[in-house]
Amino acid sequence: MITWIEGGLLLFVVLTALMTAMLRDVLAAIIVFGGYSLGMAILWVVLQAPDVGLTEAAVGAGVMTVLFLVTIARTTRMTGLEVTTVDVNWSAAVLCVVFVFAVLATVPALPAVGAGPEANPAFGEVSSYYIENAYDDTHVENVVTAVLVAYRGFDTFGEATVVFAAGVAVLTVLRREVFE
Amino acid sequence: MTSRRPYVESPVIMSTVRLVAPFVLTFGIFVTLHGASSPGGGFQGGVIVASVIVMLSFAYGIDLTWEWLDKRVLVGITAGGVALFGGIALGAVLLGGQFLELAVYPVKDAVKYGIELVEVGIAMIVTGVIVSLFFALARGAMPPAGETDADTERGGNEAAATDGGNGSASPSAESTDGGENA
Repeated sequence: MITWIEGGLLLFVVLTALMTAMLRDVLAAIIVFGGYSLGMAILWVVLQAPDVGLTEAAVGAGVMTVLFLVTIARTTRMTGLEVTTVDVNWSAAVLCVVFVFAVLATVPALPAVGAGPEANPAFGEVSSYYIENAYDDTHVENVVTAVLVAYRGFDTFGEATVVFAAGVAVLTVLRREVFE
Repeated sequence: MTSRRPYVESPVIMSTVRLVAPFVLTFGIFVTLHGASSPGGGFQGGVIVASVIVMLSFAYGIDLTWEWLDKRVLVGITAGGVALFGGIALGAVLLGGQFLELAVYPVKDAVKYGIELVEVGIAMIVTGVIVSLFFALARGAMPPAGETDADTERGGNEAAATDGGNGSASPSAESTDGGENA
């Protein structure tokens, strides 16, 4: 059911996520977080979602790591810090583990991957409509792009303008005349 | 840490970036334009194009790259992307269709080419925002002119600009103890 490559990637992703949360040295945490994003990107490709994988690799592993790095480059850092972890709040950790298992308990109720509309009443109908009609409607081979721009154009327009507005807002907050 | 020291040119990094940058730029444009037929699209392609500028900054120095960039082009790309997307969406209304109804354009495969133009618009927005964000973070929060040694690596005209940029809240507070890092 789960191949060894999926299992290995999942293990890698969980381990790097835990290390990101627990490492005391912020620089080390950022580097491990980049590894986490790379693992996620490969996992998306293995799970046959190359569009998401490409986004994760470019944004998560690439640009986010760089933005984090240039941000902490402006702070001071104690050198010679041994590899230590933050103090764990054990009651919070136990609560998280319980929550994770509560969510995992719902996984068997999910419809199987690729199941038809009858197994997936919430989204099955609309996704099989997209898969059947996207090429005839748009003449675009990548159904993800067809859904993104043709069927969900309003959402994408909102998304693009939100990126623009967020960029303007962040630059304003940073109080810097970037466009001097 | 590294930001307090003046930038040191590394021939290995510089020549690697010089070699790799054209291919990365081409790949970014390919991912954007080919998003209709293969995985990819405006968001991914835009990030890859922006990463070329980030690479150049790491190789040739953040401030030098910022001076080399034409800021009008940067603003034009970002706002032009929004205008392109909005223009395509509203143009359909002018032609009697609905907002974003790409099929009303009197071109063969109008939806397909409309989608690709929209992807180009998205890529322009993403590239502009990420490049601006990178430089705002990498150059921002720098101490105002004349307070620390961090200014020595920067040109005079820029140092003057920092004065106006940083308001009363002084981000230079943490840089005064830069000596601890040794």
